[in-house]
Amino acid sequence: MNEKRKNETPLLEVDHLAVTFYTPHGTFNVVRDVSFTIQRGEVLALVGETGCGKSISAFAIVRYLLPFHPGESRVDGTIFFEGKDLIAMPDSELQKLRGNRIAMVYQNPGTSLNPTMRVGLQMEEVLKQHLRVESKQAHQRTVELFDSVGLAEPDRIGQRYPHQLSGGMQQRVMIAMALACDPDLLIMDEPTTGLDVTTEATILDLMVDLKQRVNAGILFVSHNLGTVARVADRVAVMYAGQTVEQGPASAIFKRSKHPYTTGLLQCVPQPPSEDETNTRLRSIPGDTYAPEEVNLQACLFAPRCPMAQEMCHTEAPEILSVGDSHQSRCFFWNNVHKGIWGELEPRDEGIRETAEPVLNANKLQRFFGQWQRKYILFGPRVRPPVRAVTDIGFEVGGGRTLGIVGESGCGKTTVARLVAGLIPRQRGDILLRTEELAPMIEERTDQQRAALRMVFQNPTTSLNPKLPARHTIVRSLQKLARLSRKDSHERAEELARAVRLEPAYLDRRPEALSGGEQQRIVLAAAFAGESDLIIADEAVASLDVSVQAQVIKLLEDHQRESGTSYIFISHDLGVVRYISDDILVLYAGHIAESGPAECVLNIPSHPYTEALLSAVPIPDPDATPTRIRLGGAVPTLRERFQGCFFAGRCPRKIGPICDNTPPPVHIGPGSPDHAIHCHIPVEELIKLQSD
Amino acid sequence: MARFIARRLGLICITLLVVSVVIFVITELLPGDVAAMILGKEATEESLERLREELGLNRPAHERYLSWIGDVLRGDLGDSYALKMPITDIVGRRLRHSVILAAFAFLVGVPAAVAAGIWAGMHPNTKLDRLISMTALVGISVPEFVTGLLLILLFTSTLHLLPSSSIILPGVNPLTSPQILIMPALTVTSVLFAYIMRMTRANVIEVMQADYIRTAILKGLPMKRIILRHLFPNAMLPTITVIASSFGWMLGGIIIVENVFAYPGIGQLLLRSIETHDIPLLEVVTLIIAGTYAISNLLADLSYAALDPRVRLA
Repeated sequence: MNEKRKNETPLLEVDHLAVTFYTPHGTFNVVRDVSFTIQRGEVLALVGETGCGKSISAFAIVRYLLPFHPGESRVDGTIFFEGKDLIAMPDSELQKLRGNRIAMVYQNPGTSLNPTMRVGLQMEEVLKQHLRVESKQAHQRTVELFDSVGLAEPDRIGQRYPHQLSGGMQQRVMIAMALACDPDLLIMDEPTTGLDVTTEATILDLMVDLKQRVNAGILFVSHNLGTVARVADRVAVMYAGQTVEQGPASAIFKRSKHPYTTGLLQCVPQPPSEDETNTRLRSIPGDTYAPEEVNLQACLFAPRCPMAQEMCHTEAPEILSVGDSHQSRCFFWNNVHKGIWGELEPRDEGIRETAEPVLNANKLQRFFGQWQRKYILFGPRVRPPVRAVTDIGFEVGGGRTLGIVGESGCGKTTVARLVAGLIPRQRGDILLRTEELAPMIEERTDQQRAALRMVFQNPTTSLNPKLPARHTIVRSLQKLARLSRKDSHERAEELARAVRLEPAYLDRRPEALSGGEQQRIVLAAAFAGESDLIIADEAVASLDVSVQAQVIKLLEDHQRESGTSYIFISHDLGVVRYISDDILVLYAGHIAESGPAECVLNIPSHPYTEALLSAVPIPDPDATPTRIRLGGAVPTLRERFQGCFFAGRCPRKIGPICDNTPPPVHIGPGSPDHAIHCHIPVEELIKLQSD
Repeated sequence: MARFIARRLGLICITLLVVSVVIFVITELLPGDVAAMILGKEATEESLERLREELGLNRPAHERYLSWIGDVLRGDLGDSYALKMPITDIVGRRLRHSVILAAFAFLVGVPAAVAAGIWAGMHPNTKLDRLISMTALVGISVPEFVTGLLLILLFTSTLHLLPSSSIILPGVNPLTSPQILIMPALTVTSVLFAYIMRMTRANVIEVMQADYIRTAILKGLPMKRIILRHLFPNAMLPTITVIASSFGWMLGGIIIVENVFAYPGIGQLLLRSIETHDIPLLEVVTLIIAGTYAISNLLADLSYAALDPRVRLA
């Protein structure tokens, strides 16, 4: 069967695809040269960093380009679907393929479903449109499809509106809708980005399961190498609008023949379950090739490539066959190996000593909203407040990093804001060394304000778009470090160099800087005050892995040089694992587990930590995924928990005690600071988790 | 839902009560004397005193307010000071005229504006879109009295097609001579059209960018269905509030239009009752206008909830 298929025309054949946008702001060569094929029953992953053109290549297949850039667009090259030319096909014929033979799943299921229509109806209209079935049959088929993607109560879910479903359920609905007409080609554009790691794991499980059942080719677009390793049969790596390497997943991950791929793989922090991370992260120097540049008479990766030769700058490499269905766009593919990026530097562990704690937080509490009586005139309908943070305490050691992890809605951002004084705490106290900090930042002294800095997720919104980048740093220097005008400008340039930016960049406005450059400006401003503690709330979440690695290394260097402490908040366990000395695992506004990083992320851990760890996709196609999955969604937090906060979703629940009694705190092995908030005794957890 | 409506109706009653007090206080503070207004400059002090006695004007203000509001709550709107007629009769006729004019403008203007807005939003920056948008901009910028006078200039002075004044004699049904309605209705519609069209256009452009429209397109649905089921309900959400408040505006706020065409509607009545310090009449007219605003806003919220399950089911 497989032999026979190889001789048939491929399901999808994309050849030398190029997409150019002509806008009032200039010409953008977003996709320059993309070629790949997909066979039936095969998952091809299209991987690359932001702006590499992977999503646009995917949308070009279904000819949906206009919304990316207003103005004219031009598509060159060929796209053949089952031998039919998709680029030349008339609109009416294409409409019959869309949603029917070629179906899509998108990045944000929440916004991709019509908010004013019941999901069942949104599903049925696809069936009615393409299969011409009656309402009754459409309804029946909808229920079957909902069931097949693992939605509970498939016969009732269709009555709901999108906002009544959790993110994971919404994505299941989208997948079911894509499968409605039994498509030949399924295009999934970042289907798990934006979902919590536990939800992502269940969606990836579903995809692995679908691969067996559905005889469709799947184009899986993703920036996350971990998810790609989990589901892909073959991988195409994109850089600056070109496919630079393509081949079987194992070949790409294990024996990559392109320097970019090898570099990218080394930027990803090691999976959290690995032993002590004692080598430094790798980052790829420089920035990606901008789409407005047109010089194609060179290898586009050459400026960042460690093995670039003279000819790489003067000649454009073609895709070359480098092995069994393995291709690379590199003249020197034969010399590519993991070591080309140099030896990994060992990490300097010397600084990781606990000094005096810098910050001490005790019994923090913050609820949002009042007890509301909804109807003033006709009797009360009571709506309790959201218990965002309930009784959380922690300590940040001098020169140490406290990582805070948890799913969205666990309270990690609220904790950061309470510490920073952006929102007042309702109970508890925060000590900066020995001084009590006032709840609101306005009430704190200048020294206290200078001692605490915050870095946010989105650098674009953290910088004033009207002012040059310099302004943000200089202002911090003048306000917090009390430098004179002249000194602050000199110091700003020093800081820029410290975050590996040429001082000339300081005079650019934020819009002229890339996301990574912007975040480095924000960091330089945060470093300006010589603060004792920097709170980084998802500070690397919006950055690509190669840039993320740069930023993490900057944080690391700064800590080593100045002894600053960090609170590092992230949903990415790999990153937290790499950077943190201590870890706090939060769930539903409560502490699930806390302690030194190596203790928390090892056996035994709280069942929630265990579930988080087993959900992290590992960038290795041979890794066997652990099968602990969380169903359901994070509780609404409007109710007070009678028993354990995690009882509703706990895969290791032991009985009614979990529902009625708040969990005791057990001291885990390894450190007296290792606390596990669970009814299950430590020995029992070790036994359960070793199996 | 019933609870919600009951509560909102209760709040509307409170609002109207507050409005009636405010109006009463303002008219008390205004300079001028009702009796003098009615009897004119030549009136003797004696006859003025007699009239004040007759109208109960020499009682303290709070007493007059309480007896007035007591009568209103019993269903008796009282008599107009100036016209010496039951207010129910005066207002009833005028209200009918205004409703006819408003309904005329509303039924023609709103669907046209929404349709034009959807078309323009779906084809932004085309020639026709620019034309529609420009017309709308002119409609908003030019005051109603200018539009009205321009229409009179065109249809009456130049083309001799329509009468310049829209006076309706008592006992005449304006629907028997619809030609007198055309110009006032057009004037009102021009402003209404502009607001609603621009609002719709902006929302359509925004919703067309939404991810769920992309989903609908890539589901292979025909354009007609995408517009009706996916675009329309979502794009109309913010527009509904504008439509509702414009209905309130049409009943009370078109004083100028009614004056330009001498159309005997409720706006004209409002103006006259202010001029004559005719407090009972002024109160009733104001309450009708305020009540219309309040009710149409309630209707807007209800239709918003009907269209948006996030509001309805949250």
